[in-house]
Amino acid sequence: MPKHKPKRSAPTIDMTAMCDVAFLLLTFFMLTAKAKPQETVIVDTPSSISETKLPDAGTLTILVGKDGKIFLDMAGSHTRMSLIDDINSRYQLGLNDKEKLVFANLGSFGVPRNRLKQYIDTEPTERAKFPTEGIPVDTADINKSELADWVHNARLAQFRMKNEGKVKEEYVIVVKADKDTPYPAVQSVINTLTDINVNKFNLITSMEGAKKEEK
Amino acid sequence: MAEIAQDSGGGKKGGKVRSKKMSTRIDFTPMVDLGFLLITFFMLTTTLAKPQILALVMPEKDIKKEDIEPVKESKVLTLLLGADDKVYWYEGITDAKLDSTDYSAEGVRDVILKKMDKVKEQFGLVDYKKKNKEGVEEDLQGSYINVIIKPMKTARYKNLVDALDEMAICKVRYYVILDVSPLEEEFIKNPAGGLKFSVDEQVEAATK
Repeated sequence: MPKHKPKRSAPTIDMTAMCDVAFLLLTFFMLTAKAKPQETVIVDTPSSISETKLPDAGTLTILVGKDGKIFLDMAGSHTRMSLIDDINSRYQLGLNDKEKLVFANLGSFGVPRNRLKQYIDTEPTERAKFPTEGIPVDTADINKSELADWVHNARLAQFRMKNEGKVKEEYVIVVKADKDTPYPAVQSVINTLTDINVNKFNLITSMEGAKKEEK
Repeated sequence: MAEIAQDSGGGKKGGKVRSKKMSTRIDFTPMVDLGFLLITFFMLTTTLAKPQILALVMPEKDIKKEDIEPVKESKVLTLLLGADDKVYWYEGITDAKLDSTDYSAEGVRDVILKKMDKVKEQFGLVDYKKKNKEGVEEDLQGSYINVIIKPMKTARYKNLVDALDEMAICKVRYYVILDVSPLEEEFIKNPAGGLKFSVDEQVEAATK
């Protein structure tokens, strides 16, 4: 009997379904990935053995640059809106509703209060060139310290939003400083925080490259 | 892999040129490859974006003098974080001898562990409970050592984080970050002169 060879064809699999799934997942991850807001200051955090991750709650970040300049960033546009309303009427910054909205969606900022309007009015593309001098800190007189004022009022604003049910949690205070920041700059931030009774806060660190051996 | 099945057609008949019929099947394999590559990329970047934190609890500012509990001098180790990644350290207050080291595993960690051993010999161990990562309380034993971290004006922020790391590695339970007093700055400049340190002044400074 002659061997009957069955006709062989290359096995083709219908990839359409797999392709669908792949792109569905891709879309999901792309949409959930947060766009990194424009950094006003580059901060290279020191490494640490700590493995605790930043909690999901809203954060109020105090950035300290390499040169010791202080910047602020807070999550939640509702809170920011409420905060700028408060600050605007208290210090007569003269911001209109449109400018307040800009502030609500602004990333980190590091300008004294009296120049905030000018900073907001700058075109977003030009903001990087805006001379940032950092948020003024006065450790001798806490009532004059703008940083203390911002942090205190931001926490109050977040608290108001929590009562209104717009946010779930109070702010987690986070200090993000560069590894080469001179200590006095960090010290003034820590002192400011303890002055306004924020005794618990978090330092942002990056993963230790080579894990230190534990003894 | 990528192939486009092709009908051979019915040959040439009567000179009529028939257009070749192409199959509409497209091989999706490269597209799937690309899709999954991008998925992997986005998955990794989103999870890695979460930064790590080091929780820090500072003592209350307006603490009352009466509430301060004195600690035994022999349990105290003071680390002065100086310029150029140097750590100056001394034990206790009276007859304090200044020494310096660095942030390596053989440096400051050795100093802390040696001090811990010394304190352990003298005072034994303290039992305490601590919740582990799973939230279960564990019975642990630790040394009674008290470490005072004093970053100097010339120190950089990394030094502080390194020192706090050492506290975690050596499992030091009691540590505090304080400001450097002028007396200590003098001590570093002139170690032979000894430390003329007044506890009352320090308490005064802490409770101002």
